[in-house]
Amino acid sequence: MVYLKWGWRIVFWTAVVAFLHYTLPQHDIVRITDTYEKRVNPGENALFWSNANTGENVSATERDVFFIQTFRANDRPMIYRNEDTGWGWPPYFKFNTSNLQARASDMMSKRNAETAQWVAVRHYGWRNEFLSIYPNAVALWEVEGPEARIIPWFNIVLLVALAALYWAVRVRWNRFWANRGASEGGEWSEGKL
Amino acid sequence: MVALMRLLIFGLILLTGVYLGLLWYFRAKRRGRMAQDWQEAGRPGDRDAYIAEGMAQYDRSLRRKLLWLVYILPVTAITLLIWLTNFN
Repeated sequence: MVYLKWGWRIVFWTAVVAFLHYTLPQHDIVRITDTYEKRVNPGENALFWSNANTGENVSATERDVFFIQTFRANDRPMIYRNEDTGWGWPPYFKFNTSNLQARASDMMSKRNAETAQWVAVRHYGWRNEFLSIYPNAVALWEVEGPEARIIPWFNIVLLVALAALYWAVRVRWNRFWANRGASEGGEWSEGKL
Repeated sequence: MVALMRLLIFGLILLTGVYLGLLWYFRAKRRGRMAQDWQEAGRPGDRDAYIAEGMAQYDRSLRRKLLWLVYILPVTAITLLIWLTNFN
């Protein structure tokens, strides 16, 4: 029973953390080397692709997707997709995919460039080669160098708020059951979960 | 348009759930406090009338109206987010 309970808790909290890690914005400092678009046919990995651009036909099964090809400060490649999230999940309300692509291709900087242009990319999602999934770029801006530091204020505030909400509900929940046990006049919460 | 409609409808359902849940919770707390007040004030008059008057006061209060923030805040946040993501 103890194993079941803890197994369950671990699965649940892993899912919560994975969900937040996938959905919340993160920042990379990169050098954009190319931008392109490619025909994509989402299959088993369809969950990790966005929908058609806002206003376009949503029933089409394949479509062209913008990509941004970059290198990070450690010289490892990172590829981003660039898709509308529109009115759907996750709630970034991104409609400016084409504008973002234009800005990305304007910031290109190859390895042999005299002064490399470093760019901060705000994105959500994961890169996974086995599933062919890519993080979705949400915003780009120029930074001074590869060591630029970006403080994730939004994540700090949101995670603190979520923790506070969880705590507030949990305290009330426990109090409710404790009161109930007490008012029944029996042994409090003896034998209860 | 379908996606927008889906967001609006599910958002409305969700927020209404939150609104009604919070309203119920705050009213229940208030009711409990009024009952305690009545005890502490030395049981003046009818208990139910005392509580009913307290609840009527609550329904007119600013506190009760502030609960509309449940709808106002998310809509403001989404508008701000759309602006920040796309036009800033």
